[in-house]
Amino acid sequence: MRTPRPSTVAFAGVAVAFLLGAAASAHHSRAGYDNTPDKLVTQNGVVSNVLWRNPHVFVIWDVKDSNGSVAKWTGEFSSPTTMISEGMSRDTFKPGDPITVTFMPAKAGTPYGLVIKIVRPGGKVVVDLSQRRNLLEQ
Amino acid sequence: MRYRMSVFLVALAAVVSFPATAPAQGQGQTAAKPAVVPSVPAPPGWSACPRCQNDQDRREANVRHKVEGHAFSPRDLSGIWYGGNGPAGLFKNPPPFTPLGKDQFEATIGEKNAAGEYLHTKDTSGEGGGAQVNCDPRGWPRLATANYGFELIMLPDRVLQFFEQTHTWRTIWTDGRKLPDNPPELRWMGWNVGRWEGNTFVVESNGYDDRSWISDTQPDGGWPHSDEMRVVERWRRVNYGTLEFQLTVIDPKIYTKPWVMPAARINLAPGTEIWEYFCVPSDFIKFNNEVYLPVATGEKK
Repeated sequence: MRTPRPSTVAFAGVAVAFLLGAAASAHHSRAGYDNTPDKLVTQNGVVSNVLWRNPHVFVIWDVKDSNGSVAKWTGEFSSPTTMISEGMSRDTFKPGDPITVTFMPAKAGTPYGLVIKIVRPGGKVVVDLSQRRNLLEQ
Repeated sequence: MRYRMSVFLVALAAVVSFPATAPAQGQGQTAAKPAVVPSVPAPPGWSACPRCQNDQDRREANVRHKVEGHAFSPRDLSGIWYGGNGPAGLFKNPPPFTPLGKDQFEATIGEKNAAGEYLHTKDTSGEGGGAQVNCDPRGWPRLATANYGFELIMLPDRVLQFFEQTHTWRTIWTDGRKLPDNPPELRWMGWNVGRWEGNTFVVESNGYDDRSWISDTQPDGGWPHSDEMRVVERWRRVNYGTLEFQLTVIDPKIYTKPWVMPAARINLAPGTEIWEYFCVPSDFIKFNNEVYLPVATGEKK
Protein backbone atom coordinates (compact mmCIF):
# COMPACT_ATOMS: atom_id res chain seq x y z
CA MET A 1 0.00 0.00 0.00
CA ARG A 2 1.34 3.35 -0.96
CA THR A 3 0.86 5.75 1.88
CA PRO A 4 0.84 9.49 1.61
CA ARG A 5 4.24 10.94 2.19
CA PRO A 6 4.13 12.96 5.39
CA SER A 7 5.58 16.36 5.69
CA THR A 8 9.28 16.13 6.10
CA VAL A 9 10.75 18.21 8.81
CA ALA A 10 14.32 19.37 8.77
CA PHE A 11 14.98 18.65 12.37
CA ALA A 12 18.61 19.48 11.95
CA GLY A 13 19.69 20.21 15.51
CA VAL A 14 18.18 17.05 16.80
CA ALA A 15 19.48 15.09 13.89
CA VAL A 16 23.04 16.25 14.25
CA ALA A 17 23.09 15.43 17.94
CA PHE A 18 21.47 12.15 17.15
CA LEU A 19 23.92 11.20 14.47
CA LEU A 20 26.89 12.15 16.54
CA GLY A 21 25.73 10.03 19.39
CA ALA A 22 24.38 7.15 17.45
CA ALA A 23 25.83 3.71 17.38
CA ALA A 24 25.60 1.42 14.40
CA SER A 25 25.85 -1.77 16.37
CA ALA A 26 22.43 -3.06 17.12
CA HIS A 27 20.44 -6.11 17.73
CA HIS A 28 19.50 -5.86 14.13
CA SER A 29 20.50 -3.54 11.39
CA ARG A 30 19.39 0.06 11.33
CA ALA A 31 20.62 0.33 7.78
CA GLY A 32 17.07 -0.02 6.53
CA TYR A 33 16.24 3.37 8.00
CA ASP A 34 17.23 6.64 6.42
CA ASN A 35 19.25 8.60 8.93
CA THR A 36 19.91 11.50 6.60
CA PRO A 37 19.22 14.52 8.80
CA ASP A 38 16.80 16.23 6.47
CA LYS A 39 14.87 13.04 5.93
CA LEU A 40 13.65 12.85 9.50
CA VAL A 41 9.89 12.81 9.55
CA THR A 42 7.47 14.33 12.04
CA GLN A 43 3.87 13.20 12.00
CA ASN A 44 0.75 13.83 14.03
CA GLY A 45 -1.12 10.63 14.68
CA VAL A 46 -3.23 8.62 17.08
CA VAL A 47 -1.88 5.52 18.79
CA SER A 48 -3.67 2.40 17.67
CA ASN A 49 -1.52 -0.30 19.27
CA VAL A 50 1.52 -0.80 21.49
CA LEU A 51 3.64 -3.95 21.25
CA TRP A 52 5.66 -3.82 24.44
CA ARG A 53 7.85 -6.87 24.11
CA ASN A 54 11.30 -8.19 23.48
CA PRO A 55 13.38 -7.87 21.58
CA HIS A 56 11.99 -4.56 20.33
CA VAL A 57 9.08 -2.32 21.25
CA PHE A 58 6.70 -1.12 18.55
CA VAL A 59 4.10 1.62 18.64
CA ILE A 60 1.59 1.76 15.82
CA TRP A 61 -0.27 4.96 15.07
CA ASP A 62 -2.86 6.12 12.57
CA VAL A 63 -2.35 9.12 10.35
CA LYS A 64 -5.34 10.64 8.57
CA ASP A 65 -4.72 12.49 5.34
CA SER A 66 -6.69 15.37 3.88
CA ASN A 67 -9.03 12.95 2.13
CA GLY A 68 -9.87 11.26 5.40
CA SER A 69 -8.14 8.01 4.59
CA VAL A 70 -6.10 6.50 7.40
CA ALA A 71 -2.62 5.07 7.10
CA LYS A 72 -1.08 2.89 9.78
CA TRP A 73 2.52 3.61 10.67
CA THR A 74 4.78 1.38 12.71
CA GLY A 75 7.45 2.91 14.90
CA GLU A 76 10.27 0.80 16.21
CA PHE A 77 12.10 1.37 19.48
CA SER A 78 14.81 -0.47 21.37
CA SER A 79 14.13 -3.26 23.81
CA PRO A 80 11.73 -2.74 26.71
CA THR A 81 14.70 -2.55 29.07
CA THR A 82 16.38 0.21 27.10
CA MET A 83 13.11 2.11 26.86
CA ILE A 84 12.66 1.77 30.62
CA SER A 85 16.02 3.48 31.01
CA GLU A 86 14.61 6.22 28.80
CA GLY A 87 11.58 6.67 31.01
CA MET A 88 9.06 4.81 28.88
CA SER A 89 6.92 2.00 30.29
CA ARG A 90 4.37 -0.40 28.89
CA ASP A 91 1.64 1.96 30.12
CA THR A 92 3.07 5.14 28.63
CA PHE A 93 1.03 4.99 25.45
CA LYS A 94 -2.48 3.68 25.06
CA PRO A 95 -4.70 3.32 22.00
CA GLY A 96 -6.39 6.62 21.32
CA ASP A 97 -3.51 8.78 22.55
CA PRO A 98 -2.79 11.64 20.15
CA ILE A 99 0.96 11.97 19.59
CA THR A 100 3.52 13.80 17.52
CA VAL A 101 6.24 11.42 16.42
CA THR A 102 9.64 12.15 14.93
CA PHE A 103 11.35 9.20 13.32
CA MET A 104 13.82 7.97 10.75
CA PRO A 105 11.76 6.60 7.87
CA ALA A 106 12.35 3.23 6.25
CA LYS A 107 14.39 3.63 3.09
CA ALA A 108 12.03 1.18 1.49
CA GLY A 109 9.24 3.72 1.51
CA THR A 110 7.14 1.49 3.73
CA PRO A 111 5.16 3.03 6.60
CA TYR A 112 7.84 2.14 9.06
CA GLY A 113 10.21 4.22 11.14
CA LEU A 114 12.78 4.23 13.89
CA VAL A 115 11.37 6.52 16.56
CA ILE A 116 13.44 9.35 17.97
CA LYS A 117 10.96 11.50 19.83
CA ILE A 118 7.31 11.51 20.88
CA VAL A 119 5.50 14.57 22.18
CA ARG A 120 1.99 14.80 23.54
CA PRO A 121 -0.42 17.58 22.64
CA GLY A 122 0.56 20.57 24.70
CA GLY A 123 4.24 19.87 24.21
CA LYS A 124 5.04 17.35 26.94
CA VAL A 125 8.01 15.30 25.77
CA VAL A 126 7.36 11.67 26.64
CA VAL A 127 10.41 10.09 25.10
CA ASP A 128 13.36 11.82 23.52
CA LEU A 129 16.28 9.77 22.29
CA SER A 130 17.83 12.53 20.26
CA GLN A 131 20.34 13.64 22.86
CA ARG A 132 21.26 10.21 24.06
CA ARG A 133 24.09 8.01 23.08
CA ASN A 134 23.33 4.46 22.12
CA LEU A 135 20.11 5.29 20.39
CA LEU A 136 20.83 2.72 17.78
CA GLU A 137 22.40 0.29 20.13
CA GLN A 138 19.86 -2.24 20.86
CA MET B 1 24.59 10.87 -1.60
CA ARG B 2 24.14 7.18 -1.18
CA TYR B 3 27.86 6.74 -1.39
CA ARG B 4 28.38 9.39 1.22
CA MET B 5 25.85 7.72 3.44
CA SER B 6 27.57 4.40 2.97
CA VAL B 7 30.87 5.93 3.90
CA PHE B 8 29.24 7.54 6.88
CA LEU B 9 27.70 4.29 8.02
CA VAL B 10 30.93 2.43 7.53
CA ALA B 11 32.87 5.05 9.43
CA LEU B 12 30.26 5.11 12.14
CA ALA B 13 30.31 1.37 12.43
CA ALA B 14 34.08 1.35 12.53
CA VAL B 15 34.23 3.63 15.53
CA VAL B 16 31.36 2.01 17.32
CA SER B 17 32.42 -0.76 19.52
CA PHE B 18 31.76 -1.91 23.00
CA PRO B 19 33.97 0.69 24.62
CA ALA B 20 32.27 3.42 22.71
CA THR B 21 28.75 2.31 23.33
CA ALA B 22 28.84 0.92 26.81
CA PRO B 23 27.89 3.43 29.42
CA ALA B 24 30.60 4.32 31.84
CA GLN B 25 29.96 3.34 35.37
CA GLY B 26 31.75 2.33 38.50
CA GLN B 27 35.47 2.83 38.44
CA GLY B 28 36.68 5.22 35.85
CA GLN B 29 33.21 6.53 35.22
CA THR B 30 32.90 9.58 33.07
CA ALA B 31 30.56 12.48 33.26
CA ALA B 32 27.28 11.63 31.60
CA LYS B 33 24.56 13.77 30.21
CA PRO B 34 21.54 14.07 32.44
CA ALA B 35 18.66 11.88 31.39
CA VAL B 36 16.09 13.70 29.34
CA VAL B 37 13.37 11.66 31.01
CA PRO B 38 14.01 9.73 34.26
CA SER B 39 14.09 5.96 34.00
CA VAL B 40 11.15 3.87 35.11
CA PRO B 41 11.82 2.24 38.50
CA ALA B 42 11.60 -1.53 38.94
CA PRO B 43 8.54 -2.90 40.74
CA PRO B 44 8.76 -2.87 44.56
CA GLY B 45 10.99 -5.70 45.75
CA TRP B 46 12.58 -6.16 42.31
CA SER B 47 15.69 -4.64 40.85
CA ALA B 48 16.47 -2.90 37.59
CA CYS B 49 18.41 -4.72 34.93
CA PRO B 50 21.76 -3.24 33.92
CA ARG B 51 20.32 -1.75 30.77
CA CYS B 52 17.21 -0.49 32.56
CA GLN B 53 19.39 2.08 34.28
CA ASN B 54 20.55 5.35 32.87
CA ASP B 55 23.93 6.80 33.78
CA GLN B 56 22.51 8.74 36.69
CA ASP B 57 20.97 5.55 38.12
CA ARG B 58 24.37 3.86 37.86
CA ARG B 59 26.16 6.62 39.66
CA GLU B 60 23.57 6.55 42.43
CA ALA B 61 23.72 2.76 42.68
CA ASN B 62 27.50 2.85 43.02
CA VAL B 63 27.18 5.29 45.89
CA ARG B 64 24.31 3.41 47.51
CA HIS B 65 26.22 0.14 47.38
CA LYS B 66 29.49 1.76 48.46
CA VAL B 67 31.36 0.33 45.48
CA GLU B 68 34.33 2.63 45.83
CA GLY B 69 36.77 1.06 48.28
CA HIS B 70 34.42 -1.81 49.12
CA ALA B 71 36.05 -4.93 50.61
CA PHE B 72 36.11 -7.90 48.24
CA SER B 73 37.39 -11.43 47.83
CA PRO B 74 39.53 -11.73 44.70
CA ARG B 75 38.30 -15.29 44.19
CA ASP B 76 34.67 -14.31 44.28
CA LEU B 77 33.64 -13.20 40.80
CA SER B 78 29.93 -13.40 41.50
CA GLY B 79 27.83 -10.46 40.52
CA ILE B 80 26.35 -8.78 37.49
CA TRP B 81 28.88 -7.23 35.16
CA TYR B 82 28.18 -4.59 32.59
CA GLY B 83 29.77 -1.64 30.85
CA GLY B 84 33.39 -0.77 31.20
CA ASN B 85 35.73 -0.69 28.26
CA GLY B 86 35.51 -4.02 26.66
CA PRO B 87 35.98 -6.45 25.30
CA ALA B 88 34.17 -5.95 22.01
CA GLY B 89 36.43 -3.20 20.80
CA LEU B 90 39.40 -5.47 21.26
CA PHE B 91 38.32 -7.95 18.64
CA LYS B 92 40.36 -6.38 15.91
CA ASN B 93 43.85 -6.58 14.44
CA PRO B 94 44.08 -10.36 14.26
CA PRO B 95 47.37 -12.04 13.39
CA PRO B 96 47.92 -12.99 9.73
CA PHE B 97 45.59 -15.57 8.30
CA THR B 98 46.64 -18.97 7.09
CA PRO B 99 45.64 -19.56 3.45
CA LEU B 100 42.54 -21.36 4.72
CA GLY B 101 41.86 -18.51 7.14
CA LYS B 102 42.09 -16.00 4.32
CA ASP B 103 39.60 -17.99 2.27
CA GLN B 104 37.28 -18.36 5.24
CA PHE B 105 37.40 -14.67 5.98
CA GLU B 106 36.68 -13.73 2.40
CA ALA B 107 33.76 -16.11 2.50
CA THR B 108 32.21 -14.05 5.26
CA ILE B 109 31.90 -11.02 3.01
CA GLY B 110 28.36 -10.77 1.75
CA GLU B 111 26.64 -9.04 -1.09
CA LYS B 112 26.12 -5.37 -1.79
CA ASN B 113 22.97 -3.79 -3.03
CA ALA B 114 22.72 -1.70 -6.16
CA ALA B 115 23.83 1.36 -4.23
CA GLY B 116 27.02 -0.40 -3.17
CA GLU B 117 25.94 -0.71 0.44
CA TYR B 118 27.15 -3.75 2.30
CA LEU B 119 24.32 -6.03 3.24
CA HIS B 120 26.12 -8.31 5.70
CA THR B 121 24.26 -11.20 4.16
CA LYS B 122 26.63 -13.81 5.53
CA ASP B 123 26.06 -12.79 9.13
CA THR B 124 23.72 -15.54 10.23
CA SER B 125 23.08 -13.93 13.58
CA GLY B 126 21.71 -10.86 11.89
CA GLU B 127 23.74 -8.75 14.24
CA GLY B 128 26.36 -7.44 11.94
CA GLY B 129 24.90 -4.16 10.91
CA GLY B 130 23.01 -4.98 7.80
CA ALA B 131 21.67 -8.48 7.61
CA GLN B 132 18.11 -9.53 7.85
CA VAL B 133 17.39 -11.01 11.22
CA ASN B 134 17.32 -14.74 11.64
CA CYS B 135 18.46 -15.02 15.25
CA ASP B 136 21.14 -17.68 14.85
CA PRO B 137 23.22 -17.95 18.03
CA ARG B 138 26.17 -15.65 18.35
CA GLY B 139 28.21 -18.21 20.23
CA TRP B 140 31.24 -17.50 22.35
CA PRO B 141 33.30 -15.36 22.30
CA ARG B 142 31.17 -13.25 19.97
CA LEU B 143 28.58 -12.97 22.69
CA ALA B 144 31.07 -10.85 24.56
CA THR B 145 30.90 -8.22 21.85
CA ALA B 146 27.52 -6.94 22.97
CA ASN B 147 27.36 -7.27 26.72
CA TYR B 148 23.86 -6.47 27.89
CA GLY B 149 24.91 -7.57 31.34
CA PHE B 150 25.96 -11.02 32.47
CA GLU B 151 25.82 -12.67 35.86
CA LEU B 152 28.54 -14.93 37.21
CA ILE B 153 27.30 -17.48 39.71
CA MET B 154 29.96 -19.51 41.48
CA LEU B 155 29.08 -23.03 42.58
CA PRO B 156 31.44 -25.58 44.14
CA ASP B 157 31.94 -27.45 40.87
CA ARG B 158 31.19 -24.85 38.21
CA VAL B 159 30.81 -21.21 37.33
CA LEU B 160 27.69 -20.23 35.47
CA GLN B 161 27.69 -17.22 33.20
CA PHE B 162 24.19 -16.00 32.41
CA PHE B 163 23.79 -13.50 29.60
CA GLU B 164 20.85 -11.18 29.24
CA GLN B 165 21.71 -10.88 25.55
CA THR B 166 19.78 -13.65 23.81
CA HIS B 167 19.02 -15.06 27.27
CA THR B 168 21.60 -17.78 27.22
CA TRP B 169 24.35 -19.14 29.43
CA ARG B 170 27.53 -21.14 29.50
CA THR B 171 28.84 -23.53 32.08
CA ILE B 172 32.49 -23.35 33.09
CA TRP B 173 33.35 -26.56 34.92
CA THR B 174 35.76 -26.22 37.84
CA ASP B 175 35.65 -29.79 39.17
CA GLY B 176 39.01 -30.71 37.67
CA ARG B 177 37.82 -32.30 34.46
CA LYS B 178 39.90 -31.86 31.33
CA LEU B 179 38.77 -30.61 27.98
CA PRO B 180 37.85 -33.49 25.69
CA ASP B 181 40.40 -34.30 23.01
CA ASN B 182 37.65 -34.98 20.52
CA PRO B 183 34.43 -33.29 21.63
CA PRO B 184 31.44 -35.44 20.70
CA GLU B 185 29.44 -32.38 19.69
CA LEU B 186 30.47 -28.95 18.51
CA ARG B 187 28.93 -26.19 20.55
CA TRP B 188 28.16 -22.54 19.91
CA MET B 189 29.36 -21.83 23.47
CA GLY B 190 32.18 -24.38 23.44
CA TRP B 191 33.27 -26.84 26.10
CA ASN B 192 34.60 -24.85 29.05
CA VAL B 193 36.74 -25.65 32.09
CA GLY B 194 38.16 -23.23 34.65
CA ARG B 195 40.85 -23.20 37.29
CA TRP B 196 42.52 -20.70 39.58
CA GLU B 197 46.07 -19.51 39.03
CA GLY B 198 46.62 -17.37 42.09
CA ASN B 199 43.76 -14.92 42.00
CA THR B 200 43.25 -15.23 38.25
CA PHE B 201 40.43 -17.43 37.03
CA VAL B 202 41.64 -19.14 33.85
CA VAL B 203 39.04 -20.54 31.48
CA GLU B 204 39.98 -22.82 28.61
CA SER B 205 37.57 -24.00 26.00
CA ASN B 206 37.34 -25.95 22.76
CA GLY B 207 34.82 -27.86 20.67
CA TYR B 208 33.33 -24.82 18.97
CA ASP B 209 30.82 -24.90 16.14
CA ASP B 210 32.60 -23.15 13.30
CA ARG B 211 29.48 -21.43 12.04
CA SER B 212 29.90 -18.65 14.60
CA TRP B 213 32.30 -15.76 14.16
CA ILE B 214 34.71 -14.40 16.74
CA SER B 215 33.17 -11.04 16.00
CA ASP B 216 31.78 -9.19 13.06
CA THR B 217 34.05 -6.86 11.13
CA GLN B 218 33.48 -3.66 9.28
CA PRO B 219 32.45 -2.81 6.69
CA ASP B 220 31.31 -6.40 6.31
CA GLY B 221 32.20 -9.94 7.26
CA GLY B 222 33.48 -11.50 10.42
CA TRP B 223 36.57 -13.03 11.95
CA PRO B 224 36.23 -16.74 11.34
CA HIS B 225 37.35 -19.65 13.45
CA SER B 226 37.57 -23.36 12.86
CA ASP B 227 36.24 -26.25 14.89
CA GLU B 228 39.73 -26.53 16.35
CA MET B 229 39.64 -23.11 17.98
CA ARG B 230 40.76 -23.00 21.58
CA VAL B 231 40.02 -19.97 23.72
CA VAL B 232 41.92 -19.05 26.86
CA GLU B 233 40.39 -16.41 29.12
CA ARG B 234 41.88 -14.81 32.18
CA TRP B 235 39.49 -13.18 34.62
CA ARG B 236 40.67 -11.15 37.58
CA ARG B 237 38.71 -9.09 40.07
CA VAL B 238 40.97 -6.11 40.54
CA ASN B 239 38.65 -4.42 43.03
CA TYR B 240 35.09 -4.80 44.21
CA GLY B 241 33.65 -2.98 41.24
CA THR B 242 35.96 -4.06 38.41
CA LEU B 243 36.53 -7.32 36.58
CA GLU B 244 39.51 -7.56 34.27
CA PHE B 245 39.11 -9.81 31.26
CA GLN B 246 41.69 -10.99 28.76
CA LEU B 247 41.13 -13.45 25.96
CA THR B 248 43.38 -15.37 23.60
CA VAL B 249 42.22 -17.25 20.53
CA ILE B 250 44.38 -20.16 19.39
CA ASP B 251 43.33 -21.51 16.04
CA PRO B 252 46.27 -22.55 13.87
CA LYS B 253 43.99 -23.61 11.03
CA ILE B 254 42.87 -20.00 10.63
CA TYR B 255 45.50 -17.76 12.25
CA THR B 256 49.27 -18.14 11.97
CA LYS B 257 49.79 -17.42 15.66
CA PRO B 258 47.69 -16.96 18.79
CA TRP B 259 45.47 -13.90 18.76
CA VAL B 260 46.13 -12.24 22.11
CA MET B 261 43.54 -9.59 22.90
CA PRO B 262 44.45 -6.70 25.16
CA ALA B 263 42.86 -6.79 28.61
CA ALA B 264 39.53 -5.08 29.13
CA ARG B 265 37.66 -4.03 32.24
CA ILE B 266 34.02 -4.65 32.96
CA ASN B 267 32.13 -2.92 35.77
CA LEU B 268 30.00 -4.33 38.55
CA ALA B 269 26.36 -3.33 38.22
CA PRO B 270 25.40 -3.38 41.88
CA GLY B 271 21.80 -3.89 42.87
CA THR B 272 20.71 -5.06 39.44
CA GLU B 273 19.33 -8.35 38.19
CA ILE B 274 19.27 -10.00 34.78
CA TRP B 275 16.05 -9.55 32.86
CA GLU B 276 14.98 -11.25 29.68
CA TYR B 277 16.15 -10.54 26.17
CA PHE B 278 15.46 -13.00 23.40
CA CYS B 279 15.92 -12.70 19.69
CA VAL B 280 12.48 -13.67 18.36
CA PRO B 281 12.54 -14.84 14.74
CA SER B 282 8.85 -14.43 14.09
CA ASP B 283 8.99 -10.87 15.34
CA PHE B 284 11.44 -10.00 12.63
CA ILE B 285 9.61 -11.38 9.64
CA LYS B 286 7.81 -8.07 9.38
CA PHE B 287 11.04 -6.16 9.83
CA ASN B 288 12.80 -8.21 7.20
CA ASN B 289 9.96 -7.83 4.72
CA GLU B 290 9.15 -4.20 5.31
CA VAL B 291 12.49 -2.64 6.12
CA TYR B 292 15.44 -4.82 5.25
CA LEU B 293 14.67 -6.76 2.11
CA PRO B 294 13.32 -3.88 0.00
CA VAL B 295 16.58 -2.04 0.58
CA ALA B 296 18.65 -5.13 -0.07
CA THR B 297 16.89 -5.91 -3.31
CA GLY B 298 16.32 -2.35 -4.40
CA GLU B 299 12.62 -3.00 -4.57
CA LYS B 300 10.87 0.10 -3.26
CA LYS B 301 7.29 -0.18 -2.19
